[in-house]
Amino acid sequence: MDGRALKDALGAGLARVAGDVDLINQLNVFPVPDGDTGVNMYHTLNRAWQEIADSSSDDVSEIAQRFAQGALMGARGNSGTILSQLLKGFADGLDSAARLTPALLVRSCRAAMERAYAAVSQPVEGTILTVAREAIETLEADNPAAETLDDVMAALVTAAEESLAGTPQKLPILKEAGVVDAGGMGLLSFLRGLQGSESVAETARARPRGAAPAGAVSGIDGEFGYDVQFIMRGAGMNLSLMRRDFEALGDSVIVVGDDTTIKVHLHVDNPARPIDYAIAVGAALDDIVVENMQLQYQTLAAQMPQPTISTGPETASDVAVIAVAEGPGIQSVYRELNCARVINGGPGKSPAAEDFISAVEQVPADHVIILPNDPNIALAAQQAAELIPERAVTVLPTDTALHGISAMVAFGDGVDSGADLDTLAKKMAEAAADCRVLSLTQATRASEIGGRAINKCDYIAFIDGRLESAAIDMESALAQAMPKLVTDETELMSLYFGAALSPRDAGRLIEHLSRRFAALEFELIDGGQSLYPILLSVE
Amino acid sequence: MTSRRIRIAADSVCDLPEEIVSAFGIGIIPTYISAGGESIPDDGHSLSRARFYRDLPGMRPYPTTAAPSPGDAEAFYRSLVEDGAEHIVSIHVPAQLSGTINAMRLGAEAAGADKISIVDSLQLTFGIGFQVWAAAELAASPDAGVPGILETIERVRRHTRVYAIIRTMEYLRRSGRVNAMAAGLGGLIKISPVIAVDDGEVKSIGRVRTWSRAVARLRELTLAQAPLCRLAILHVANESGAERFLDSIQDVAPSDTLVIETTPTVGTHIGPGAIGVATLSNDWRR
Repeated sequence: MDGRALKDALGAGLARVAGDVDLINQLNVFPVPDGDTGVNMYHTLNRAWQEIADSSSDDVSEIAQRFAQGALMGARGNSGTILSQLLKGFADGLDSAARLTPALLVRSCRAAMERAYAAVSQPVEGTILTVAREAIETLEADNPAAETLDDVMAALVTAAEESLAGTPQKLPILKEAGVVDAGGMGLLSFLRGLQGSESVAETARARPRGAAPAGAVSGIDGEFGYDVQFIMRGAGMNLSLMRRDFEALGDSVIVVGDDTTIKVHLHVDNPARPIDYAIAVGAALDDIVVENMQLQYQTLAAQMPQPTISTGPETASDVAVIAVAEGPGIQSVYRELNCARVINGGPGKSPAAEDFISAVEQVPADHVIILPNDPNIALAAQQAAELIPERAVTVLPTDTALHGISAMVAFGDGVDSGADLDTLAKKMAEAAADCRVLSLTQATRASEIGGRAINKCDYIAFIDGRLESAAIDMESALAQAMPKLVTDETELMSLYFGAALSPRDAGRLIEHLSRRFAALEFELIDGGQSLYPILLSVE
Repeated sequence: MTSRRIRIAADSVCDLPEEIVSAFGIGIIPTYISAGGESIPDDGHSLSRARFYRDLPGMRPYPTTAAPSPGDAEAFYRSLVEDGAEHIVSIHVPAQLSGTINAMRLGAEAAGADKISIVDSLQLTFGIGFQVWAAAELAASPDAGVPGILETIERVRRHTRVYAIIRTMEYLRRSGRVNAMAAGLGGLIKISPVIAVDDGEVKSIGRVRTWSRAVARLRELTLAQAPLCRLAILHVANESGAERFLDSIQDVAPSDTLVIETTPTVGTHIGPGAIGVATLSNDWRR
């Protein structure tokens, strides 16, 4: 296989993942609305694709290295980050070879897996890592002398399928949720695309026409963003001449009919051009339908707004903090606490490694501390730190934006008291660890967690990642979880209400809570966060 | 007390109780609080501190504080001279925080500056008080000289620490002071600052989320200064809090530890509920 063939295969892999995004997203262990594994893996690969989209190199190592470099920069979420490490390991495993042979493919897959394991400080089994490892181990054991690349790929895909099916046995939360690992699924989807086989959706899922995210594969199948259909009515029209002219204008051209009625369908980047042409030849147009094929892609993109980085006050300190936070109110709290840069992101909206890199580059401080504020964002932040070894960057793996706020208070405390960097980082980590956070949202599907049945749309409350209550109304879900949150030591309860909740409703909740916990102090903050109507921390 | 050659003077921000003031014949010039359209001298009887602090949260417009006028200062110095003072050592609230020193200088020029040494205490409340107290003790001995008194003041200052914890940033913001310090304390979330008076400035030296952590921090800061020669527990309308705090540091508190409701000149800025300490460590005598 040469570089061009590898490029085609990688493009097919990206296209496959693009088609499977929703399916992968839905494999969320908790029925919460922040499943973004599919979107993250897709964006990671799409960023990788940009590096090779214009390349016509026939050198597999060059293509693989450039693709891997793009993936490292674009890595989002834990699975996207691990995928980028797999790609980098694979590219390094090629060892500058210009052609890919079956033996080299096997060797490079092992290098890919080993690099991905090395990149994760505490590898968890039952995830994308396991699928990568077991697939390559099975491949090595069962097909020591695979003769063609197709044989190797087929064996790899089969082994990955078997491994993925086994992930619930390795990771209890998967078993309980009745799903396979989303990242593993994403990897399988990519491998199948490379191999040239079908979607991971075994069953033929009805998809609306044009819903395969055409924008996502732009650069692979062409650049045509609009699906245009119309009927031309006239007299003595030359069907074959018009078909030739429409074919010159766009892609996927269908021109059928007779000399009085012609049905036209095509994909174009400018919908005005075929319509102008039809009018110019004197036809009357009927049933004009113009669809933007980018729309689904844009829906994906809307789930993943380009992270904006907002600037906080410049401080005299030689240590600066960069945090990921979402919701205007929560972001304001960060700025007030002297956070140098706030990257817009959070659950379900993972920034890419390169977003962290550009934030770090904007901050002149000698040392930068990053608060990823989500377990699924930390790995990309860590990868960013490793991609810019010339900058001193520490990632403090905070779990939520509220844990991060506790760390920010400790940062201010440390700076005021003249703490050195190590003390500062230690105090911030301790403050985050001491902080307890309740997150309340609505179930996106029926589920059963820890023997507790959850109906779709139930309000569910998590404390430090554990489901603590489920109820049909917010007040009850909150009330049931409280005993797990409030202890004799609790003094202060801070309620950040999300965009879905009105200040009045939030005020009423606080009123209930303050009657129940009369000894506590309360504060109510208009956080404006999405997905979680209530985030609540106690100190 | 007309026999004293060297008299010690201060402004009312020094927070020295009446017993000490009268025992050493210390001259105290009041600063002023402007509240409800009146300018009230902080002279210990024109203004009830308890009542003032009780009313403070609702006062509109918010009270302001004012230095004595140069005329007040001149009259103050003249009365001490008439009382027999050959030299006056006059110790005051820092120039960076108040116009008092400036007024005292102008008053001193009018009253005969050669007899008056004006000292910027670079401190507040009992941080000034310790300097005034030690200076007055020394001035009471017959062979005391001005240079020795000035040197004592300097030494006391070096071994003095003043810390406070504040219930809310609201009063600091209302008072329009310490803007730089209040950076990062904008009020979206509740933060209790830990402040220190150092070198004539009020600085934030820590910020915590809850009052009990603030109290714990104040305790740590106090214990770090032990062994103590003198200690004053300061408060703003929070005597019970101050007494509880004193209990918590009983092991290091000298027997003559004072619990002081601090002057409205300071309390207006930090607000009801605040607790503070002024410490003078034993080392100062060395």
